[in-house]
Amino acid sequence: MHLSADTDNQSNEPRVWAIGGGKGGVGKSVICTALAMSLARQGERCVVIDADLGGANLHTFLGMPNPRHTLSDLFRKKVDGLEDILLPTPYENLSLVSGTRAMLDMANLSYQQKMKMIRQIFALPADHIFLDLGAGSSYNVLDFFIAANDGLLVIMPTPTSIENAYHFLRAVYFRKLRKVMKRLGVDELVNSSLNEKVRGGIRTPQDLMADLKQRDPGVGNAIALEMEQFSPCLIVNQAQRNENSELADEIAMACRDFFGIEVKVSGVVRADERVLISLNSRRPVLDMFPNSPFAEDVQRIVRKMTPDTEAEHERRSTAAQL
Amino acid sequence: MNEEALQRSYKRFGLTPDASLREVELAFHKLRKLYSDNSLATYSLLEDGDLPDRLNSLQAAYDMILQSRLYSQPASDQAFPERRQEDRRDQDSRIVVVDADPQQKPGLFLKQMREARNMSIHNVAERTKIGPHQLQCIEAQDFTALPAPVYLRGFLKEFCRAVKVQDPDQLVEAFMMLYSEAT
Repeated sequence: MHLSADTDNQSNEPRVWAIGGGKGGVGKSVICTALAMSLARQGERCVVIDADLGGANLHTFLGMPNPRHTLSDLFRKKVDGLEDILLPTPYENLSLVSGTRAMLDMANLSYQQKMKMIRQIFALPADHIFLDLGAGSSYNVLDFFIAANDGLLVIMPTPTSIENAYHFLRAVYFRKLRKVMKRLGVDELVNSSLNEKVRGGIRTPQDLMADLKQRDPGVGNAIALEMEQFSPCLIVNQAQRNENSELADEIAMACRDFFGIEVKVSGVVRADERVLISLNSRRPVLDMFPNSPFAEDVQRIVRKMTPDTEAEHERRSTAAQL
Repeated sequence: MNEEALQRSYKRFGLTPDASLREVELAFHKLRKLYSDNSLATYSLLEDGDLPDRLNSLQAAYDMILQSRLYSQPASDQAFPERRQEDRRDQDSRIVVVDADPQQKPGLFLKQMREARNMSIHNVAERTKIGPHQLQCIEAQDFTALPAPVYLRGFLKEFCRAVKVQDPDQLVEAFMMLYSEAT
């Protein structure tokens, strides 16, 4: 479920991926860049959008100088649309929308600005769009995460990262719930009991759903049906080979039982010191170390998440051979 | 039984009602272990003192599933006339004699009865809706892996009926006695 500017032209609409995860420094930007690079190399038109409003530096990950056009130009109405600030990168099929830098007012987008930007994102001429979200669980981050086709949660195997990820998940869930209730026109009806219940000890979405269904089966079931669509993906980054092999599945299991949220495991990315080297050289890992364990793992994730693209390329290459 | 609560129990284990009992067991033990081990994936979810409640609620979900299977009736004979005939054909009423003592070794007795009737573990599992693993544990008298007594009793009765033990009550009592001595 996402907002779309152009509903009768769905086949040309890009697939929008949002990369979040609550905690800073877990590798969201590195993973985001690598996913986009991997698909761009397959010939897919990709755009990375630096949506870390207030702390943007995705251009550095791509080895680009300070960008001349950024999202600030859009928000200050210096340009007409998102398309006008699309920057080419040194890599084929890959464009960048640079974020705002050191502009605290931009971290507080109005809701209208945000919705306008989301509509423009879905109207960009591309196959895949990657939103690199900032850390934390602010409404800006949550709303982009909810609007995307695929919400990717990047974590690393540390207690703090996992704790933040759970916090993030819960925040996204409740934000989406409010939106669903608003759309169904039941926000007033349910709100009061909700607030009372949240204070009175309902702590997980699962408890909440059970309670809603009990209060009003019709409304409860309608909401539950919509909320079941919420199924974020999980990437465990910087994993240690032996210790963390099952962590992603365990987190998915815990999310299912504890929150009643179905988390899909996209994959595990091994810790790889080449990532730091490439960061310091300001060159993407997939460019500098295309055969590294990191690159392998990212490509495995891309294959898993875009089975159709894979099949399409096979078809094309077979056709070329004939 | 509350159908919705049952659905929710299955969902917690990431399963649907057509899962085998073995799958239910596995998922239950895995989840239980995940919480008990204070693993990376769960430690921040539980506050101090939450663990016993969590484990109890898991146990309740598991019990609910077991119970629903215990009382679920096999599909009506009317709906499957051919099955009815088949059942009648293998109403294997011949008296079989096995050498295990039903009082001393009820598990072995059940196993020998089953073999004497040319049934595999899976045949019995299909007929009784009890997981093959549970059946094997009953035969081996492996008490650690068996469910709570209230369910175990029901499982044993079903098992006896499937392999046509002459005096099921006596065997069930003998087994339960050994079980309570061992646990």
